[in-house]
Amino acid sequence: MTAGAWLELIASGLITGGVYALVALGLNLQYGLMRILNIAHGEFLMVGAFLTWMATTQFGISPLLMIPVAFALLMGAGLAVHRLVFRRLTRTSPNLDVFEARGLMVSFGLMFLVQNFAQLLWGGDLRGYDFLTEPVAIGSAQFAANKLLLLALALAFSAALIVTLKKTLYGKGVRALMQSPTGAQLVGIDTERLHPLMFGVGLGLSGVAGCLLSMTYTISPSMGEPYTVTALIVITLGGFGSMSGALVGGLALGVIEAVGMHFTSPSLKSLLSYGIFIAVLLWRPNGLFARK
Amino acid sequence: MNTKRDLLVLFALAGWALAVPHYGSEFAVSMALTCLMYATLSSSWSLFCGSTRYLSLATSAFFGIGAYCSALSLEQLGWLGAIGLGAAIAAAVAVVMGAAVLHLRGTYFAVLTFGMTELIRHAITTWEKQVTGTVGRVLTVVPERDTVYLTVLGLAVLAILASILVRRSRFGLAMAGIGADEQRAQTLGVNTRLVKISGFALTAAFAGAVGAAMSVRWTYIDPATVFNPFIGFQTVLIALIGGAATLWGPLLAAVVFSLLAETLRLQLPQLYMMTLGLLLILSVLYLPGGLASLRRETFTMWRDDIRSGWRELRAGKAKKVPA
Amino acid sequence: MSTRRTVVQALAAAPAALAFPSLVRAQAAPVRVGYAIARTGPWTTGAQVSQEPNYLLWAEQQNAAGGLNVKGTKRPIELISSDDQSNIETCVRTYEKLMGSDKVDLVLPPWGSNANFAVAPLANRFGYPFLAPTALSRRLIEMKLPYFFLMLQQPKPMMDALVDMLKASGAKSAAVIYVDDLFGLENYAALKVALAGSGISLVEDKSYPLGVKDLSPVLRSMKDKNPDAFIGLTYPPDTILASKQAKEVGFNPKFFYASVGTAFQLYRNVMQAGAEGVLGMGSWNGKTSAGAKAYFDAHVKKFGAAKEPDRWASGAAWASLEILTAAVAKVGLDRKAIRDYVAGGEHNTILGKIKFAGSENVGTPGTVSQWQKGEFEVVWPKANATAPLVPQKPAWV
Repeated sequence: MTAGAWLELIASGLITGGVYALVALGLNLQYGLMRILNIAHGEFLMVGAFLTWMATTQFGISPLLMIPVAFALLMGAGLAVHRLVFRRLTRTSPNLDVFEARGLMVSFGLMFLVQNFAQLLWGGDLRGYDFLTEPVAIGSAQFAANKLLLLALALAFSAALIVTLKKTLYGKGVRALMQSPTGAQLVGIDTERLHPLMFGVGLGLSGVAGCLLSMTYTISPSMGEPYTVTALIVITLGGFGSMSGALVGGLALGVIEAVGMHFTSPSLKSLLSYGIFIAVLLWRPNGLFARK
Repeated sequence: MNTKRDLLVLFALAGWALAVPHYGSEFAVSMALTCLMYATLSSSWSLFCGSTRYLSLATSAFFGIGAYCSALSLEQLGWLGAIGLGAAIAAAVAVVMGAAVLHLRGTYFAVLTFGMTELIRHAITTWEKQVTGTVGRVLTVVPERDTVYLTVLGLAVLAILASILVRRSRFGLAMAGIGADEQRAQTLGVNTRLVKISGFALTAAFAGAVGAAMSVRWTYIDPATVFNPFIGFQTVLIALIGGAATLWGPLLAAVVFSLLAETLRLQLPQLYMMTLGLLLILSVLYLPGGLASLRRETFTMWRDDIRSGWRELRAGKAKKVPA
Repeated sequence: MSTRRTVVQALAAAPAALAFPSLVRAQAAPVRVGYAIARTGPWTTGAQVSQEPNYLLWAEQQNAAGGLNVKGTKRPIELISSDDQSNIETCVRTYEKLMGSDKVDLVLPPWGSNANFAVAPLANRFGYPFLAPTALSRRLIEMKLPYFFLMLQQPKPMMDALVDMLKASGAKSAAVIYVDDLFGLENYAALKVALAGSGISLVEDKSYPLGVKDLSPVLRSMKDKNPDAFIGLTYPPDTILASKQAKEVGFNPKFFYASVGTAFQLYRNVMQAGAEGVLGMGSWNGKTSAGAKAYFDAHVKKFGAAKEPDRWASGAAWASLEILTAAVAKVGLDRKAIRDYVAGGEHNTILGKIKFAGSENVGTPGTVSQWQKGEFEVVWPKANATAPLVPQKPAWV
């Protein structure tokens, strides 16, 4: 295979990886901060995708405009879900282990609820629309414009999140909470406000990911689950709670998948991903980049 | 804990269940079969996961393994042989899986068992497609519906019987100890590794046996159907909603769910799944002990909760939340 | 005493009186025809283009003429159908119910090789003839189920026709992708056999799962290898995906062949000018026969110009209904007799003459069609062609 073809392959891996990273960041925020493993994360991605699709095909709103709208709507949903569901869990769980287990089960229930609600509303078929499908030539490679946009925006949002967490006061508060919940509270950081906010941001990010995805691929109510699983794999690779780990892990997984599929077949993609997942969980449960 | 009473109830229920194929309609038998299947799955699941609090999502893997064993070996080994094989291989896989992952706790364990289940599913799918070049297996020689029913009934009775007996035994106490505080159990001399692996294998054996028995209902099995993760999810859902640490909870919930399933699933599947999801959320939030732990006090507790919730809302202030 | 006699006489007369209207009504007792079909899920596109509309059109046409002719008596058709949600288990359970407990008079098959594979043993167990227009499977034929008939040309004739056409047009290399479903697997196996010794080398072959979202990396590496022909053994969503993404990456082989879905009007709608020159699985269009044209027009009349029948499986579906109608007219609703009639004779349908060897339709040869100026023309074999082959596909637009 020529060098140009290799570049194309890696680039397409990065494009899928960019989305993985974005979704994983949201999940990581929720788990790292609040120890809520939100299995329903992908479903909210799907909701973002469908809202964008509906806005574009029925109201003619540009998908680009829907990006902030999807973020806002899903952040609102996140705030609501946290208030209605997870807050009570925090109150009633005797210890962290139980809270985690219950959180997992509750997000399970959410997954069923949201996915099937979407199916009821929009039907199980594939939907899609065309946006920026013209090919763009970069050197000898050719990509669809929407895919390049997808990569650019995914990276931009991921970078924005990481920078926010590092530089702003809120961000520092979040990182402090991740490191030591009790200590952070002693210093006056308000979990009451930060938890729902960050939960909302996490869901908002997955909504944005969904919006971006709807521009390039077809969508269906069952599209969320694979992304949740991939996000799980990514945060396992990158380390639970590590933001930059999630970014690198996501991009890496995308490239690994692309290269793997090239040498075998797209049919083996799932096998490959799960194999990596199990291998990492068994060998380095704290993630490949975790510091001991 | 009244063993005699429990055994009596079990045999009464078994007798009643025996009568169904003779007097019930096609629909009633089908529903009873689904109910018995989930009763077995969730009872055996709670046997291990309820007491040790290791949430396993691997039920679908064991079920599927049992189903495949049965499909492949039915002609050579006969009915009971196929079931036995299914149970044995599932248990063997569980031992391997358990040895590898049972040192992890909580969410790690749950996610890992889920990952392994999917890995097994994809591995078998790939094998089928790339190596044998088929997509599924057709079962042409199937035993009578009544034979299947009796077998699954037998398995259900066995599962609940096992639950009853294990609870009283040292093995059961060891598992409960692990669930309460694993480190303390270890210091007290419990061989936690052995106990966990055995418990996990026991769960797997039942799931494998049920899978082997149910495979014949489907005339055609393919990896997507028998390794469907939903089987595992539903088992966990039922056990949790019924009360994973209780004896009768899973059975109770299994009855409720098979009623819901048979009436809603074919016509309004989305509604059925949404109901499941909602019930799970509600039960984890408001009834963590499950249906079986429902007592008069629970209702007064809820009433008080609602009242204080209202007061909060009106006062507009949030209660202080512990970290 | 006379009162009692009157009462007894009245009582005796009553049932006869009650029976009388029902004797009259019995003439119009409906023929209950049951089926499960995909109305949601990944099989929906195929099922709702190729299959269910034909069932509905058939019932409507027969009822408009007074009902289905059952050995001389006309009886209205009552369709009993439900959504199988593209789920095999739902499909199997539904057919079990239809044949086992509801005991309908006739059944019509579901969509797709997978679903038909799953319900075929049931057809045999309950003794209901199935004439399946959307199933391709050598294994099904090997199972030698007497009650199951496959209307479509099977992988071997279809792939042989394709390879013959490519060879005759001077192609030297080919790249293949196939869905790792029964359909794809079997066609791929048949293709490999056909290519052996044909002088055409296989430069790349990749399988992909149903529901794949992105084929562009695969298409990119194929473009790199520059084959003369691209062969996609695909389902409707992937047919469209492969076409669109081939355009996206600039992959323009001389021959671009995809499978299920190329024969759909949907393909032309989505690809527009880009559809020109694309090859696919098709076996008829309005020019094939007068009956075909009549069917085409009736279909468009009922469902609108936006919903034409597809140029492959729809024709087979209609042909299957023609055969069933003729069978019932001749032998009534005795399902064994229907089966014998279907298996034994030669049938005249819109696709031409159809006859079965076991489960396989050996009357219709393997064919290849091509989009030319907005119509999917049969281009191979020459005997069935409605237009000559255009040997080079223009670049994607």
